[in-house]
Amino acid sequence: MVMTTHDEKMRTVRFRVDDTAHISVDGEKCKSCAVRACVTVCPAGLFVPLDDGSVLFNYEQCFECGACYFVCTQEGAIRWTYPRGGFGVTFRES
Amino acid sequence: MHIAVCLSRLPDPNTVEVDPLTGAVDASRMLYILNPADAAALERALQLRAPEDRVTALTVGPAEADSILRDALAVGADDVLRVWEEGRTSTRPAVTALLLATALRTTELPDMLLCGTRSLATGSGKVPALIAEYLDWPVVTDIVDFTLQGSMVRFLRRLAKGARSEGEVMLPAVLAVEAGAAALRYAGLPDLMKAKRAAIPVQDLSELGLSPVDLNFPAPTAQATMPPYRRPREIFVPEASLPPHERVLQVMSAGIAQKSGRIVSGSPEQAADQIIAFLADRGFVDRAG
Amino acid sequence: MAVNGGSEHFDVIVVGAGPAGSAAALIAARAGLSVALIERGEYPGAKNVSGAVFYGSAILNKLIPGWWEQAPVERHVCRRDLVLMSPTTSVSLDFRSSAAGYSEPPYNGFTILRPKFDRWFAAQAEAAGAFLLTSAVVDDVIKEDGQVVGVQVRRDMGELRGDVVIACDGANSWLARKAGLQRELHTHELSLGVKEVIGLDEATIRERFQLTGDEGVALEYVGAVTDSVHGGAFLYTNRDSLSLGILGQLSSLVEHKKRPYDLLEAFKAHPAVAPLVRGGTLREYSAHLIPEAGWNMVPTLYGDGILVAGDAAGFCLATGIYIEGINYAIQSGLAAGTAAVEACRRQDFTRYSLMKYMELLYQRNVLTDLRAYRHAPAFVNGERLQNVYPELAARISESLFRVAGDRKQKLLPLYWQTLQQVGTKPRHVLKDLYHVARAYLW
Ligand SMILES: Cc1cc2nc3c(=O)[nH]c(=O)nc-3n(C[C@H](O)[C@H](O)[C@H](O)COP(=O)(O)OP(=O)(O)OC[C@H]3O[C@@H](n4cnc5c(N)ncnc54)[C@H](O)[C@@H]3O)c2cc1C
Ligand code: SF4
Ligand code: SF4
Repeated sequence: MVMTTHDEKMRTVRFRVDDTAHISVDGEKCKSCAVRACVTVCPAGLFVPLDDGSVLFNYEQCFECGACYFVCTQEGAIRWTYPRGGFGVTFRES
Repeated sequence: MHIAVCLSRLPDPNTVEVDPLTGAVDASRMLYILNPADAAALERALQLRAPEDRVTALTVGPAEADSILRDALAVGADDVLRVWEEGRTSTRPAVTALLLATALRTTELPDMLLCGTRSLATGSGKVPALIAEYLDWPVVTDIVDFTLQGSMVRFLRRLAKGARSEGEVMLPAVLAVEAGAAALRYAGLPDLMKAKRAAIPVQDLSELGLSPVDLNFPAPTAQATMPPYRRPREIFVPEASLPPHERVLQVMSAGIAQKSGRIVSGSPEQAADQIIAFLADRGFVDRAG
Repeated sequence: MAVNGGSEHFDVIVVGAGPAGSAAALIAARAGLSVALIERGEYPGAKNVSGAVFYGSAILNKLIPGWWEQAPVERHVCRRDLVLMSPTTSVSLDFRSSAAGYSEPPYNGFTILRPKFDRWFAAQAEAAGAFLLTSAVVDDVIKEDGQVVGVQVRRDMGELRGDVVIACDGANSWLARKAGLQRELHTHELSLGVKEVIGLDEATIRERFQLTGDEGVALEYVGAVTDSVHGGAFLYTNRDSLSLGILGQLSSLVEHKKRPYDLLEAFKAHPAVAPLVRGGTLREYSAHLIPEAGWNMVPTLYGDGILVAGDAAGFCLATGIYIEGINYAIQSGLAAGTAAVEACRRQDFTRYSLMKYMELLYQRNVLTDLRAYRHAPAFVNGERLQNVYPELAARISESLFRVAGDRKQKLLPLYWQTLQQVGTKPRHVLKDLYHVARAYLW
């Protein structure tokens, strides 16, 4: 299969998930954000907008690319760092 | 006290891809990890270690397996040993167990041997029992927690369906722990660097006083049995003859009936016969056996 | 090896085992220095994504003669196509060369897969004597009196000291920012690349792309492929897989609210691409940032005790038509490694001593190239090159090649007419021609 859903894409990637999150999002801050840039750019689709205006985020399948960090304009909404050495995404062929 | 820990390096199940047509595994896409249950065993050993104690990590495997021994050194193992016969491509549980037991005998018998209760790869869980057999030690598997009191170990085992059992065993013993028993610590930088530079000692068959014939075990008969099959899923349909409200009640119960057990009694022989008859009725075994 | 505050001391600490870092470590280790090469991935390349065509074969050949014989390369690139796309058609400019540089050693370019290539390249640095430490993420530099004297690794007792720190930590370089050498980057200076490796058997690849032996092609796409988003797409042949992906400017993705993976799917479904990927199976999906602003985002490249190289320094030439980053990463890594070696000889690690790096970068053409193409990014990301011209070219050729019974139009009237259809004024075309010339010729 060449055409793939986002889920199928993510299933080809290997993650070693650390117990603590390397990125955290303050959903309260997102309530006053109109752009929701993170939702658009995240290549792993990890940001989910909620009905109450906040944003749900799960760090486990993160590519560590930094796109969300750069596009977010809300001061303090995203706390961003790399996972501990040896954890996180591991590409095999890219 | 001297604690030995057996480790195994195996493919991360998330990276094992089986071709649906040929059944072949794509080895080039596999990444290897330390078996999670073994990692838990190593952590328990490190937690148990008093200042005068010693922790030795062993593995059976080719040169690539050095990496897990380095990981063990980095988190605090005092010694490591890799056992391997050059040219080998795989080992069966019996061979792994024989090599480990012999290595422990020829170097120094520990007071306690810890290992993971089963590997993710084969999941057979035979190795701890077989090592115990070779060493003539007691073995306790499926340990979720244990404490040491002098030379006695009090343990908590996991049974099926969430049940637990407690017990005691005197050292020396083989203790096989579950993956969830502990999370392996993260190595500090100086130790990580030291481990990276360490030379990993290796022993081959001759150093263990074994010959290749010693590793020739008859092919396991288990391979001759039928692969397990999944029973077709039964879809619940309410009985058409019932009045509507009864059917609705049936639907709402989702067809779940209380699971029932049966207790067999009598002499062991009679009980065995009953169990065999029960299994045979449901097609699990041949009645002849 | 001196002991400093209880922790080990190195002459050079290189952060990041990508092409820049491994090159720096290799050259410094060969000069006899004690070198630590620190990588946060489980292995070098574990976190890295490129297209990739590697255009630095000749440079590497000087370092490791005949490197491609031992390295994990996929195919040598013998053909490059630039494809201009409208939503339904495409026009391709075909650069096929049988010139010696393409088809004979050391070849012009190779397709590579980074997790494999980076692992091999870091092993070369290790073999030269560098100390490679994986699974170690560097959080910050250690400064004393304004001088960088080491790095802080996120592990217990994670202080590591060295005379020169070389930051090769890639596009999102925390180190350059923490050391105060780089400002926060803007979203129009960064592109997001999303990529797929699609498995396809060797015979099919050869037949489909008309290749023999280890020959490979590089196809680069602009225009409707990224919808209205500023960016491009690529498709490269590996041995038994295809690498394909799209690149989109971050600010533009946000502006047009386009999700990168949706663009990727649209790309694969485009009539010009679908037949090329048909029958393949997805092997891996990945994503990474690319520094796109070229000259304008280059940080301060040297400080007291620190140098910045590779993507961390913005040394990536993304002219829209192609991305060259790996070759510049290696070139700048070599320059930084050499500058560190000379500083060690002088035992002077101040910025005045490390300034030698600039001279070496010019010698290796890194800065000259970047300067020469400094107008390219703005032009490439301009509206007309991104969307209007590809459409224009596609429409014109569509009309030209369509056999419809009516009289064939002369080229010039057709051109004017089409221009009007896509809403562009001749004046703009002339202006852009000037920009093209300025970006690529002067
Ligand atoms: C989709 C895409 C396609 C591309 N196509 C091409 C192409 O075809 N040809 C080409 O030449 N270039 C291409 N590039 C550009 C190329 O990938 C980069 O220019 C190149 O990788 C830069 O090399 P580098 O060593 O500077 O950085 P990187 O390759 O990014 O290496 C940085 C290394 O540092 C490590 N690291 C980062 N932070 C830390 C830390 N804090 N502690 C420890 N380690 C750390 C990372 O894990 C990584 O290994 C492409 C890029 C992308 C995203
Ligand atoms: S862009 Fe920033 S503030 Fe806006 S929703 Fe995303 S994380 Fe929240
Ligand atoms: S770093 Fe990249 S992959 Fe991870 S959450 Fe941010 S945008 Fe998504």
